[in-house]
Amino acid sequence: MHQLEFLDPRGATEITQLHATRLAALDGRKIGLLSNDMWQAHRALPLVGDWLTAHFPEATVIPETAFPRGNNLIDSDATADALAAQAVDAVVIGNAA
Amino acid sequence: MTRNAVASLGFDQDAAMVTFPIELFLADSDLGPVASAADQFVSGLTTWQSAVTETGVKPAPALRIEAPDESAVLRRVNDLFLAERWGDGLPLYPPTEDLVAWILTGTDFAPNHVIGRVMPRGGIATVKAVAATLAMAGGRPEYLALLIAAVEAILDPAMEHEKFQANSGSPFPVVVVNGPMAETIGLNSGFGLLGPDPDHPAGASIGRAIRLILQNIGGALPGDGTMAAYGAMRFTNAVFAEDEAGLPGGWPTLAAEIGNFGAGSNAVTVFCASGSVNIPRRAISPDVLEDEIMNGLHRTAGYLRVPGRDYVTGWANGTPGALLISRTVAGQLAGLGWTKDAVRAFLWEHSKIVADEVERTGLTEWIRSSSEAATAAAPTDPWPICRTPEQILLAVAGGAHPTNHLWFQGEAPAVVTREIRLPQN
Repeated sequence: MHQLEFLDPRGATEITQLHATRLAALDGRKIGLLSNDMWQAHRALPLVGDWLTAHFPEATVIPETAFPRGNNLIDSDATADALAAQAVDAVVIGNAA
Repeated sequence: MTRNAVASLGFDQDAAMVTFPIELFLADSDLGPVASAADQFVSGLTTWQSAVTETGVKPAPALRIEAPDESAVLRRVNDLFLAERWGDGLPLYPPTEDLVAWILTGTDFAPNHVIGRVMPRGGIATVKAVAATLAMAGGRPEYLALLIAAVEAILDPAMEHEKFQANSGSPFPVVVVNGPMAETIGLNSGFGLLGPDPDHPAGASIGRAIRLILQNIGGALPGDGTMAAYGAMRFTNAVFAEDEAGLPGGWPTLAAEIGNFGAGSNAVTVFCASGSVNIPRRAISPDVLEDEIMNGLHRTAGYLRVPGRDYVTGWANGTPGALLISRTVAGQLAGLGWTKDAVRAFLWEHSKIVADEVERTGLTEWIRSSSEAATAAAPTDPWPICRTPEQILLAVAGGAHPTNHLWFQGEAPAVVTREIRLPQN
């Protein structure tokens, strides 16, 4: 048999951050909505917010209009600061396509 | 797409997602599926867990193939490349340690030198990983220094490569080389410079390696890591040399204009293009050269004058694209007193888009929503395709023939130059 050893062409990767621990429950929590303002996020995110409010009345849903919107803005420090200022516990971000 | 996006932020390539068919994301879509999937939003916020619980470097494993004979080994390697989505459809060389060590003789950089992380996957582009990819692509050691410089330029933050990698418009890097090393390694600057050209194989090999780096280390797989709808000129990219010997007197090289590189310097100039178009600029049988020149310039400006969203990307600080002019036409222009600046100024002025066109094509919304303040506030009556004429790249390249120009339409927030650092020995 012939053998050949060679390198994996993908190279190495590095994980520097772990995903946040999930919430035990939504009641009593603040859920922020963040919109990239594309792919019908302006229609879809309010639906998600309405559904969460209806099914988790003890949770507080902060709409996407309370935060900077748009692909160029939602990854900014200003958006992170706005989320922190509102003391949100979790975020739903949309939409990617 | 989302998996790669979170990986680019340093997370594991995984995320809590609720996915829908593309139809939901279109105008006037039925949003019923959102409510149907509401439980998935809740589980994403509460019970979802990543499989990865520790941070750190994940090295790429060594691979081994066994087969009854040598040719069968090569077939199985290539079968593996395609099965794992590491190939490009044509045969590749297996990057063995011996082959990669040979390629690495083309640089003085240490193999573990990190050039950068390639998004959206966030893979680490070490010199060795880049050399391994060049080996796969059929490259040679003397190509490596150029490839390293090109990858450095591509990963420059100003290039926003994480965006062009994922972009549905299929942008690709264009690498223009200046300096004596272009001829030394067999890089084309004349007829058929975009290839294929068996007399000048360097561009195809280096360009193919760039594509494989973006795909394998960067994760830009069709419909997955990249939403490139059509793909375009991404197989071997566009890697060629400026025809420096064909530059008229007083016409500086591209590297001199963009990066202040002096004569004899080896350098790459890199920007992103979303496509290219051949511009037939010659008259049928001109009697007066000045008339033909003016016809050709007006026709060229017409090709540039399109209400493309791509231009918005580079409007403030990048480029709307690069025009390649053959040495034949460059000589005619210079003989009539045209400088590079004068050509650019003419094209800029005559490619402006009238206000009605800006409005009815929806370009206004793209302009006004730009995160660049200068772009968002740009005049639209008419709209110049870039802020200043100097942003239009002009290079002398292509076969010594008067009939055509080539226009690379940019989707380029920046134009980046890098010195090509050759090994000492």
